Amino acid sequence: MENALYVTLSRQMVLRRQMDIVANNIANADTAGFKVESLMEKTDPAAPAVTMGGPNPVKFVSADGVARDFGQGGLNRTDAPLDLALEGQGFFQVQGPDGPRYTRDGRFTLDETGRLVTQKGLPVLDDGGGEIVLDPAEGQLSVAADGTLTQGATRIGKLGVVTFRTLAPLEKTGDNLYRNTSNQQPQPAEAARVRQGMLEGSNVQPIVEITRMIEVSRAYERMTRIMDSTAELSKTAVQRMGRVQ
Amino acid sequence: MQALRTAATGMAAQQLNVEVISNNIANMNTVAFKRQRAEFQDLLYQTLEAAGAQSSDQGTIVPTGVQVGAGVKAGSVYRIATQGTMTQTGNALDLAIDGRGYFQVLLPSGETAYSRAGNFAINDQGQLVTQSGYLIEPAITVPQEATEVTISKSGQVQVKTPGNPVPQTVGNLELATFINEGGLSAQGSNLFLETAASGPPTVGQPGLEGVGELIQGFTEASNVDPVSEITALIVAQRAYEMNSKVISAADNMLGVANQIKS
Repeated sequence: MENALYVTLSRQMVLRRQMDIVANNIANADTAGFKVESLMEKTDPAAPAVTMGGPNPVKFVSADGVARDFGQGGLNRTDAPLDLALEGQGFFQVQGPDGPRYTRDGRFTLDETGRLVTQKGLPVLDDGGGEIVLDPAEGQLSVAADGTLTQGATRIGKLGVVTFRTLAPLEKTGDNLYRNTSNQQPQPAEAARVRQGMLEGSNVQPIVEITRMIEVSRAYERMTRIMDSTAELSKTAVQRMGRVQ
Repeated sequence: MQALRTAATGMAAQQLNVEVISNNIANMNTVAFKRQRAEFQDLLYQTLEAAGAQSSDQGTIVPTGVQVGAGVKAGSVYRIATQGTMTQTGNALDLAIDGRGYFQVLLPSGETAYSRAGNFAINDQGQLVTQSGYLIEPAITVPQEATEVTISKSGQVQVKTPGNPVPQTVGNLELATFINEGGLSAQGSNLFLETAASGPPTVGQPGLEGVGELIQGFTEASNVDPVSEITALIVAQRAYEMNSKVISAADNMLGVANQIKS
């Protein structure tokens, strides 16, 4: 009897987490290179729907993982020479304090020694894993679609644009960075194109997120209704039984 | 409930965005103003189930974890230092920099500030000063009897005096360049100060070694593009509205939870 209460409670807990994820998507709708996320749910414990003769097991809802949509975000023209956008699957490689980090946020700048760095000051790496140093006096930086960096007529190097066989083990560490949690090695991203003077917006679709928000909020209300009627049911049962005696 | 706080970070970020955009629009006609942009980054993630964790003793791993983000924050306000267009004024003391570089301005405190606004004037002692009356370095003094001031592309200041057909050189203007112009700290009145992030200034002659050239009789307009600013303003306003919707939805969920009959 009381199981119905626990089942609806498990659903409500998952809905709350889903709301947190929707809120994070909407808050980051304007963050460069942000990838939209959604919560995957599962039936717990996984058991056959029909048990021959035996009682049907009680199943709960639980969170199964966060699915990240790595689809392309829209490109916005900014005309700043150090704004780079990636078109196609790939990541810029930057040197984090404890190992390499990967990002699709190409809002780069120079630090006081002329290194190409992210907004947080982490150096951007080239295809050999070294830092990229520019001398502004040499003239405008131009970035080719394959990531080749040229200043004036001099080739400076090539941006390290990499990708992974499977993107699921990438973990977000905040500041638009990803960390590789598996032992797969980054591969050069052949399909990715670098666009200079552009930024990749987030791939959050506001309408989808608002719709999902309404869905979550209504499902939560529905679960409350079920809880109410379950409580009502046991209350009525207790009253009726009292009358029989 | 995390969603409430997450949406609040979204609203705070969009508010900053609107502040930056309105400053850009307000300074659309400020000489040599450089537009700014608020940079957003996602906040820390709370890892509830780590990707890559072992899901059994057979060595299988969790392919995707459960990570819930805590919202958005403003990383920095970045100044886009692209060239503004040239506006002809015909004033002999208006100078525009075509390329990299900053004029050096001596502040009353003895510090040197840097500016790209070249709408200069002459003070009561004949010295070249900014609109605020601060001296330009290196100091240039125009003699009282001068009838014409000519400033060359490379910064040479020459004056013509009555009865002397040969122009006289009264000084050379120099420009300071920085490795990271975005790191300069804005002081208002079109002035910037050096910081640890900008690197030390390199003073050079205009037109040499990557330093920009001077153009007399012109001023540099701001690089604000009104159309893109208004578009950004609309986007920011709608994003703000959307975050407030999340707050009311999360609040509604909490209200529903409170109404459960016991």
